[in-house]
Amino acid sequence: MDQELLMKQIVEQVMQAMNNGGSVSAPAASAGGKVTSENYPLSENMADKIKTPTGKPFTSLSYEKVISGDITADDMRISPDTLEMQAQVAESVNREAFAGNLRRAAELIAVPDDRLLEIYNALRPYRSSKQDLVDIANELDQKYGAKTAAALVREAADVYEQRGRLKKF
Amino acid sequence: MKSKRFEVLANRPVNQDGYVKEWPEVGLIAMNSPFDPTPSIKIENGRVTELDGKCRADFDMLDTFIADHAIRLENAEKAMALDSLEIARKIVDINVSRKEILDITLSITPAKLTEVVGKMTIVEIMMGMSKMRARLMPANQCHVTNVKDNPVQIAADAAEAGVRGFAEMETTVGIARYAPFNAIAIMVGAQVGRPGVMTQCALEEATELMLGMRGFTTYAETISVYGTEPVFMDGDDTPYSKAFLASCYASRGLKMRFTSGTGSEVQMGYAEGKSMLYLEARCLAITKGAGVQGTQNGSVSCVGVPAGVPGGIRAIAAENLIAMLLDLESTTSNDQTFTHSDLRRVARSVPQFFSGTDYICSGYSATPNYDNMFAGSNWDAEDYDDWNIIQRDMKIDGGLQPVREEDVLKARNKAARALQGLFRELGLPPITDAEVEAATYANGSNDMPDRNVNEDLKAIEDMMARNVTGVDFVKALDKAGFPDVANNIYNMLRQKVAGDYLHTASIFGDNFHVLSAVNAPNDYHGPMTGYQISEERWKQLSDIPNAIRPEDI
Repeated sequence: MDQELLMKQIVEQVMQAMNNGGSVSAPAASAGGKVTSENYPLSENMADKIKTPTGKPFTSLSYEKVISGDITADDMRISPDTLEMQAQVAESVNREAFAGNLRRAAELIAVPDDRLLEIYNALRPYRSSKQDLVDIANELDQKYGAKTAAALVREAADVYEQRGRLKKF
Repeated sequence: MKSKRFEVLANRPVNQDGYVKEWPEVGLIAMNSPFDPTPSIKIENGRVTELDGKCRADFDMLDTFIADHAIRLENAEKAMALDSLEIARKIVDINVSRKEILDITLSITPAKLTEVVGKMTIVEIMMGMSKMRARLMPANQCHVTNVKDNPVQIAADAAEAGVRGFAEMETTVGIARYAPFNAIAIMVGAQVGRPGVMTQCALEEATELMLGMRGFTTYAETISVYGTEPVFMDGDDTPYSKAFLASCYASRGLKMRFTSGTGSEVQMGYAEGKSMLYLEARCLAITKGAGVQGTQNGSVSCVGVPAGVPGGIRAIAAENLIAMLLDLESTTSNDQTFTHSDLRRVARSVPQFFSGTDYICSGYSATPNYDNMFAGSNWDAEDYDDWNIIQRDMKIDGGLQPVREEDVLKARNKAARALQGLFRELGLPPITDAEVEAATYANGSNDMPDRNVNEDLKAIEDMMARNVTGVDFVKALDKAGFPDVANNIYNMLRQKVAGDYLHTASIFGDNFHVLSAVNAPNDYHGPMTGYQISEERWKQLSDIPNAIRPEDI
């Protein structure tokens, strides 16, 4: 990293820590730093950075709003940004595989429940032709921007072909 | 003449159990099989080209997945070059940290992991568990089911189980279409017993996910993986479909773990002549490679198979240790009934109970054995006091605590009434006061009146068609006059928005504060380190109501 930029970030973090009366070792995501185990649990330490997929701040959620109907089931879901922050927490404690799963999950938030269940079922053995799986991969990629999930489906298509696990006509 | 001694012995419960001699050629061997592959790895251009004696051209689907996803390659050749005995010795050496062990064990192959734990005695495996378990403090999980699928009883039993200390609760069904009621009942009961208990309903994979998406459950566990390709196909899945499913759960903010266990492959007839433990090591590598945070393993529902062969119970402990060596949350079975002998069933649980694991049982039956729909459990409601006394005898924390009858009855009654109110508000078939009363005082479903099953099933179908979700349960409970219970369910839904509990080995402590391997990591490195039972907790564990007080004499 550029030395000057690094210094600037450190100063910013110190300033912020002084304002919060908190620790310097917990950079906020917005300061360009990565979220780490120091920020965990995010619901307590970074609540102001979490939003629902419908764009409502996590801090605005309340029991009363659920009762009044201002908050609905659609609001009570995790957002891609939050899963990305949790993936960074996982990486900070050396759980790369788990972080990868969370990133793949972040991409799948946009896929509707019913379609997600259909895609899962299509990945089971003998359910799909190679073209079916390639089509699903393209759909994930192009319609939802789900690149790593699409890559997993493509990989499965190749392996199923090699192992004779595609749909038998 | 027949010996009277031998006659007595022949009639002992232990001799009603089934045993079988080893037959390594077909995989009827727990561990240390002469036919297990020799550990090896070859990496060319950042790609594994040889794994445990097989070159890539000969890989089956599982080898391919493991080679491409499950092993950290940077350090793999170096770690594989270490002597397995040296790695085993490091695991029991208090001067070698958990992190140093993981640097090695996350970089080695299934055959190598099998070889390493194969060098360890049961006591050394237990020492390994104390150090390698992911979370600092142990916890426990229970089953809450009954043969009638009676939701009022499920709610009451879950509430009692919450008071007794369980951190997670699992239900399942007799009749599959009852699942939504069972899921609601266990959630309501759990949140009455202790706010923050996680609940699940074990079902066919796609149905289980659907219930989670709708807010009927907070986590999932019965996502099975298997150690040979034919058995995986029989289970109607692949490592790729299961990895995709894992991401589906996380995308909805739901915690999940995979499940696997020794003996499943040989039971299903395709062990490919490998030891049960080696095949389980492959399952765990797939779990790791899929990016799942944890596993339920320890033979689980196949326990009769390893328990029948020599060293089988040691192998079960060894497979739990392998899960920990892969930095996975370890939810260590001790569930299905496998023996007629009380001595044997205690001995089977000693390694996990005494060492402490992330979830010692998965689960402990919170009902009488006859009501357990997972084919009975090694520990049942009848054993609650035995568990508590063993904790007190050994000064260990097995996740439960002694309770007072009046507290339990209060919780059971409140859970039954809360469910009664929820059913009323959602227009579901009524729960009568007689049912509430019966559930409050019941031991099992023999003490419960029958419900109109057809009416229940019709109402469930209608409720699911109306698209009822967790938010509707919150509203209904509020309206029914149980705002505290409603608030607890709201808080569980809120946790799904933040996702903190997706992390390895999470549980909820007081005030929905998450405790996981991230903020409460196990740091055991010898006497007086790691999890220490606090004075307050020890008082709770040791204070049984039936102990004589010296000052009274």
